[in-house]
Amino acid sequence: MLKDITLGQFFPMDSVVHRMDARYKIVITLIFLVMLFWGQHPTALIAGFLFVAVATVCSKIPPKMLIKSIRPIVPILIITGLLNLFFFGGGTVYWEWKFLKLTQQGIQASVFMVVRICLLIAGTSLLTYTTSPIVLTDAIESLLSPLKKLKLPVHELAMMMTIALRFIPTLIEETDKIMSAQKARGADLESGGLMQRAKALVPVLIPLIVSAFRRAEELALAMECRCYHGGEGRTRLRVLKSGLRDYIALAFTLLLLAAVIVINAVVY
Amino acid sequence: MEPLIIIDNVRFSYPTGENPDERTEVLKGISLTFERGELVAVLGHNGSGKSTLAKTLNAVLLPTSGTVTVAGMDTKDEEKLLDIRQHIGMVFQNPDNQIVATIVEEDVAFGLENLGVPSDEMRVRVDQALNAVGMYEYRTHAPHQLSGGQKQRVAIAGIIAMRPDCIVLDEPTAMLDPQGRREVMRTIKLLNRDYGITVILITHEMDEAAQCDRVVVIDHGEVRMDAPPEKVFSHVREMRELGLDVPQATELCDLLRQAGYDLPDDILHADQCIDALAALFSQKGIISNAGSGSN
Amino acid sequence: MPVLEAIDLTYTYSIGTPFEKTAVDHIDLQIEQGEFVGIIGHTGSGKSTLMQMMNGLLQPTSGTVKLDGKDIWEKKADRRAVRFQVGLVFQYPEYQLFEETVYKDIAFGPKNMGLDEKEIDRRVRETAEAVGLSEELLQKSPYELSGGQKRRAAIAGVMAMEPKVLILDEPTAGLDPKGRTKILTQLREYHRRTGCTVMLVSHSMEDVAKYVSRLLVLSHAKVVCYDTPSNVFARGDALAEMGLALPQITRIFHGLRARGIVVPDEVYTVKYGAEQLLSLLKGGEGTC
Repeated sequence: MLKDITLGQFFPMDSVVHRMDARYKIVITLIFLVMLFWGQHPTALIAGFLFVAVATVCSKIPPKMLIKSIRPIVPILIITGLLNLFFFGGGTVYWEWKFLKLTQQGIQASVFMVVRICLLIAGTSLLTYTTSPIVLTDAIESLLSPLKKLKLPVHELAMMMTIALRFIPTLIEETDKIMSAQKARGADLESGGLMQRAKALVPVLIPLIVSAFRRAEELALAMECRCYHGGEGRTRLRVLKSGLRDYIALAFTLLLLAAVIVINAVVY
Repeated sequence: MEPLIIIDNVRFSYPTGENPDERTEVLKGISLTFERGELVAVLGHNGSGKSTLAKTLNAVLLPTSGTVTVAGMDTKDEEKLLDIRQHIGMVFQNPDNQIVATIVEEDVAFGLENLGVPSDEMRVRVDQALNAVGMYEYRTHAPHQLSGGQKQRVAIAGIIAMRPDCIVLDEPTAMLDPQGRREVMRTIKLLNRDYGITVILITHEMDEAAQCDRVVVIDHGEVRMDAPPEKVFSHVREMRELGLDVPQATELCDLLRQAGYDLPDDILHADQCIDALAALFSQKGIISNAGSGSN
Repeated sequence: MPVLEAIDLTYTYSIGTPFEKTAVDHIDLQIEQGEFVGIIGHTGSGKSTLMQMMNGLLQPTSGTVKLDGKDIWEKKADRRAVRFQVGLVFQYPEYQLFEETVYKDIAFGPKNMGLDEKEIDRRVRETAEAVGLSEELLQKSPYELSGGQKRRAAIAGVMAMEPKVLILDEPTAGLDPKGRTKILTQLREYHRRTGCTVMLVSHSMEDVAKYVSRLLVLSHAKVVCYDTPSNVFARGDALAEMGLALPQITRIFHGLRARGIVVPDEVYTVKYGAEQLLSLLKGGEGTC
């Protein structure tokens, strides 16, 4: 069912990582991504694995959850793995059939790519598991705030993101309901060709859009009544505050990155 | 002391059609005052103008003529807009469409954030507000995990965190199930009694109005009655003509009174009705010990 | 033969997840042709799930739904045809209006049935009249109607399929007393005129009791009772224990009985209650 989809996969818990400043978490995640894709040497992957392992332990997120986050992309992993396996690389050829070649570098590239993607998903999932969407939005707003000087509506964008996150589950549930209601009137949403199906969606989409507008209007009124007047002079319940743990985490990640860069430079 | 809200001969109309002179008049000269600490119901059928009246109280709508004065401030004064909205909080019908944040406590903080309250004070006020509506243990939940009644209580918490003098609730129970209705009514009565917050409850449900201290009946943009609920509901026939219900207890006593039996005309609740009927029966000698508990 | 029958019907949501929940738990139920059934129960008692299984929108986890004695989930059964015969009006149905005109919106169901223009026209006009929508409103956009009108237009859209069984989930939710009475009387009229089965889900016993011939009480995914309103209200204490609010008038009569006054215990309308009291009072005076 549609409403079983979970969005904003925040996993509320009390851990060092949960308590970290979200801005640092974003920056650290970005450094982690750079590190993962630095060079062709396995150190990047070892360092990446080390990073994910340490972060997982510190965040108290059950490793099962990370495996769950990888599950939806298994088809992508298989395809990337196969493409790398057969079409890339050189070196010793182990097996050949028509245009397909199994080479030493191909195997290496394939394994690297799959591991890399797994680590990438695990690492970024840790960010969303340990940071509530709204705090994440705050942090992005704060990180982007220098852009306000360029007249970029940073606060407004962040508010839009928050509202979108808030209303996605509501609208999903509503879609579910409208679909059932139109099916009860004999709407056929499941058969026919592409065009026919697109046309059959009209009775679902129109009420959904109308309802979204109605909600937007009511929400705007409710926000106004609660003294909303843009980002000016606004304070926050959760103040983003950095502390020792953030500096240590950043230092640790930078150290890993440095190690990866140095080893890469030495080896090649 | 001066009343908290003074509504003085307020009219409100909006243009209909292309001709600017063609206007629909929603409020036709309403004058009312609300004192601090009151628990008032504004009762009327859909389209009676009661929601429009509510919206003039916190400057969402400005009267076409007449004035609304809130804690000494004229709602037309644009400089006082945030002040007015902080004094007069508003809760709406659809619980989904007034919750902004993805976490309960952050939503309760929304108004305070807008007012620029420092974050340590905000934390205290958010927790107090959540405790007051009995939602503290849900503070880290997402809104879509809550029932309708719980969402509405979160919305109320978001308002009282701003420490308003008055909450205006515009049909807050219309979309709720009986359980949710009871939760919301219990909450607003508690806020009125224990925190002294003035409550103006806009409703078309007579059983909710019957729980208030004062009932203002609105019809076609005019005040038709303004009295304690016992008095208002004793006008059974008039209420019916206005498209409103009366409590079944009131109606039953009214029917018996019409048949010539001597029953009080200020009965709203089942217990009162049982006492009165038992007294009547014992007086008529139909049952000897039925009068116990009355008098 | 009952028109609708549930045999050992069960529905479980999100099987195999931590959110697993049995919404309908081995329910057996027979709805006879021509009944006007009121269905009451808490949120989460399984009302909505049961209704959606009755017209084949939800497939039961186990058990059978029979329409006219035929299993609706039989391999060969045409589920779309079942939905035309068991019309379901959802809560806040006005949110599903989408056509350019009210006329076209009411015609949506009949058109999906593959009826010809003339038949569709007859049905649209008849149902519009039944729900009190005037000819000129039919050519308006549904979004121009008032709240109550929209609600009635949406109900007409299901009625126009001329189902054997019409199920409505809280058709009066959010309306004021006048709007509620209007819809309920129109439904009663529709029921009398067409003789088809009507099932009405409601939170408000006070509203429903006056109109229906039978009450189905659900609690915790099970049927508590399925009986005439008098018999159901006579067991008021059991209902009150489940936390279902009894009509005030019923509570008054139960209170009077507790005081030793011999009044009936199955009172659920003020008129009937007043008659009972008056005859008792007159009788009492006579013996004085």
